[in-house]
Amino acid sequence: MAREDSRKSRRSEQGRGETGSQSLSSADDRQAPQRSSATLPALGAKGMALFLWRQLTSMQTALLLLMLLAIAAIPGSVYPQRNVNAQITEAYIAEHGRTAEIMDAVGLFDVFSSPWFSAIYLLLFVSLVGCVIPRLLVHLRQIRSRPPRTPARLTRFTGYTRVELPSADADAIAEQARRTLRRGRYRTDALEEGAGARSVTAERGYLRETGNLIFHVALLGVLVGVAGGGLTQYRGQITVIEGAGFSNSLTQYDSFESGAWYKPGELPPFQFTLDEFRAEFDTTPNEHRFGQPLLFEADVTATSPETGTFAQTLRVNEPLHIGGQSMFLLGNGYAPEITVRDPEGNVVAQGPIITIPSGDMGYTSALVLKAPDAKPQQMAVVGFFLPTGVIDEKGPHSQFPALIDPQLALTVYTGDLGLDEGIPQNAYQIDVSSLTPVTDASGTQSLLRLAPGQQADLPDGSSVSFDGVRRYAAFDIKHDPFQVFTLISALSAAGGLILSLFIPRRRVWVRATPLAGGGAVLEVAGLARSDDDALEGDVRALAEKLGAPPAAPPTARPEAPSEASAQVPSTPSRPADPAPPAAPGTTREGPTQ
Amino acid sequence: MINQQLAEFSNLLIILTVVLYVLALIGFGADLSGVSQRRSDARLRSREAARVPVGAGAPAIGAGGGAEAGAGGGSFAADDDERASALESRDSGPAADGIADGRGAEGDARPAGALTARGFGFVMAAIGAVLHVGAMVLRGIATQRVPWGNMYEFSMTSSAMIVVVFLLFAIRRKDLRLLGTFVILPVLVLMLIAQTAWILPAAELTPSLQNSYWVVIHVGIAIIATALSGLGALIAVLQLVQARHERTLAAQHAAGETRPQAWGRAGAVLSRLPGATALEALCFRIHALAFVCWTFTLIFGAVWANDAWGRYWNWDPKEVWTFVIWVVYACYLHARATRGFRGSKAAWFALAGFACVVINYTVVNLWINGLHSYSGL
Repeated sequence: MAREDSRKSRRSEQGRGETGSQSLSSADDRQAPQRSSATLPALGAKGMALFLWRQLTSMQTALLLLMLLAIAAIPGSVYPQRNVNAQITEAYIAEHGRTAEIMDAVGLFDVFSSPWFSAIYLLLFVSLVGCVIPRLLVHLRQIRSRPPRTPARLTRFTGYTRVELPSADADAIAEQARRTLRRGRYRTDALEEGAGARSVTAERGYLRETGNLIFHVALLGVLVGVAGGGLTQYRGQITVIEGAGFSNSLTQYDSFESGAWYKPGELPPFQFTLDEFRAEFDTTPNEHRFGQPLLFEADVTATSPETGTFAQTLRVNEPLHIGGQSMFLLGNGYAPEITVRDPEGNVVAQGPIITIPSGDMGYTSALVLKAPDAKPQQMAVVGFFLPTGVIDEKGPHSQFPALIDPQLALTVYTGDLGLDEGIPQNAYQIDVSSLTPVTDASGTQSLLRLAPGQQADLPDGSSVSFDGVRRYAAFDIKHDPFQVFTLISALSAAGGLILSLFIPRRRVWVRATPLAGGGAVLEVAGLARSDDDALEGDVRALAEKLGAPPAAPPTARPEAPSEASAQVPSTPSRPADPAPPAAPGTTREGPTQ
Repeated sequence: MINQQLAEFSNLLIILTVVLYVLALIGFGADLSGVSQRRSDARLRSREAARVPVGAGAPAIGAGGGAEAGAGGGSFAADDDERASALESRDSGPAADGIADGRGAEGDARPAGALTARGFGFVMAAIGAVLHVGAMVLRGIATQRVPWGNMYEFSMTSSAMIVVVFLLFAIRRKDLRLLGTFVILPVLVLMLIAQTAWILPAAELTPSLQNSYWVVIHVGIAIIATALSGLGALIAVLQLVQARHERTLAAQHAAGETRPQAWGRAGAVLSRLPGATALEALCFRIHALAFVCWTFTLIFGAVWANDAWGRYWNWDPKEVWTFVIWVVYACYLHARATRGFRGSKAAWFALAGFACVVINYTVVNLWINGLHSYSGL
């Protein structure tokens, strides 16, 4: 944004204080040669530090860091990221071997927490602070001070208009100019110049710089909010089967992560029961539409000390807010109810088993059931749950995600499940390499295929029965005390941005010089300090208004210079001495906005 | 739920829109080549006039101005005017530099009130835009939701947005209508790709897009931002080309050439366009709006993500790329305020930003899996 502009304006303000030649310094705001750092003499340690600081806070450095930030973020979208999906990342590394290990070492799988990415954005924010603080001080000073003096020669400024008014009074014109500009929300100052001349200097658009500063400070606020959230938040994943309940304690979570400043035991008390989970899928016979989800809904009955008991339906985009936490419906799947009997006839597992969808359209779901209590050997049941099952050359898979033809395709193993060694295991995974598959008399592995209500008896005397299907829902529960602060910061940044981009900062000067034979000469001109198409028109309108008061006849403009009479289309409207190129306010017909 | 008849009608309107845009393209294209043709004709005449012996030539030219109803002399004068202004950044051309003015200045013996090629192109584009918007509204009514639930609908809606924004700009600034070719052509290409490769039957939204007004706000602003980025990139390209053209003319002028001219017909077209300085100002204006829209796309996206996924920022590929777009456009705005980067160098940042928009729209949608996988393909 206009960081550089105001830095220069600071210099110009200082220059004004030293030399008093404010007309030159303000006119050359945008193009005056600045002091160059190329001819620096030998620097001491302090000088060197100052030099480095100036370099870091310079616009070119900020530009470079911004560009680096953009480039550095790209690998984060190309390679899998641990903080987004650790499983996919590990699989990618395992697949790509040595190359991936080197990439991992340089942080390509943790781009957004890598030292180089952090270095870039931290330097950027340091640069930002170094730029914003001096500008803030300058701006505060400017807001309290009067607008700079009227330049001695106005001819070279935008929209310069000169009108001779034979029957006008310089004082009256100046007073009217001041009132008009005040009404136009200009900050004005009336000056008495030599030989009875009066001038009014006016400036408007301080909000532009204010907005610019708000934008940059608010970006810092966003950074603080994100960092604060990272330190104090917690989030966890839970899985609840229809009809089952959840009560908020750490042991109930499948996974739980928290920031460094989170104190264990801060979980607010609440419970809920998942009464029903509904899902609908598209049956349109189109390759892109068939099987696409149309609806996910979870009916819960929740209880907390503050709210009592209430029922709510959770959907995607409609989380449950309870006890300062939010609970989001993020996943779902099937939990077939299975009963397993060991060869001795004892029930060693019974109830709904959570299965993991493999990610295909039809919800082909992996099932793992461990029965450590089975005798004579521990048992494991491994296979698939298929909502709409077929078994063909591709193996068992499901053709549609809804329960059209639910089936189980299972194999049974016996052996030591390794659960007694005290090493925590993933309940949804099992390594069958050390287990023995149950085989029939001919020695081939028994493949069980069950529909609801069916039971399969295995050669070794054990049995598996498929009693029914329930659904389950997966929720994320999270708490981030900084998120409101972050949002307010982001919105402030956007607001400041709008001010800084669309409020024009401009100066307007009016000078009235008495004529020897009575009357006065009116001169009006402006200076755009930002892109400001309307300036020229406004300056001319002001000249028109001041030049044609009831006291003075409107025909009293005989000697107006050609550029002031902007009615003839073929006349170039720019002054003989073109204004600085970066001030397109000199165009008469600018873009229409 | 889905009114398939209305959806069919919407598809039909899209086809009609494509036809109208093709007609508009023909009109705008004929206008462009006409401008360059008339220009080279005028130049030829001026060369011949210069070759006439001095004694007989002086009165002949003087008479020609009046007797030929401004045919030769008129365009001659216009030539001088334009070239003079071209040398000084040419932002001082009259506002009504549109059809009427162009016709008058070029001095073609065309009856008043007849439709010029440019006028034809503009009218066709305007009717096409009405049908285009109508098609998207019908798609919305047919599906009872906003018409931007997948990549096809997003493309169709944002291309409608581009045309509408361009036409709105061009209603008041008639000189911009000369750019019609450069707007309608990319829009047509985008529409044809969407119509052939990304088209999907009208359907309901996936659950993650349901139950949230943010789909209207977040995606709506993203569409506006995309359209503004596209238009901004077009202006940035023209600005770069125009700046180079002006440098060439200025170099010729400095070398003593009294009538500098470069680049043949393309140069003649460029001479009719606003100068590099005016284009730069327009470029900034569009990108300032685009940057604000991208900012709100990010913020509202974060608010929605917080409701939908429980995290306001996930480093999802779409988010990463939108962040990259935002940072690159921030670079553009900063570069514009930095000494040594103003003008052409800054425009390259704007083009880099648009390249990121294109990547975010194609590569990320089609080949990178993420939470924003709504292309439906």
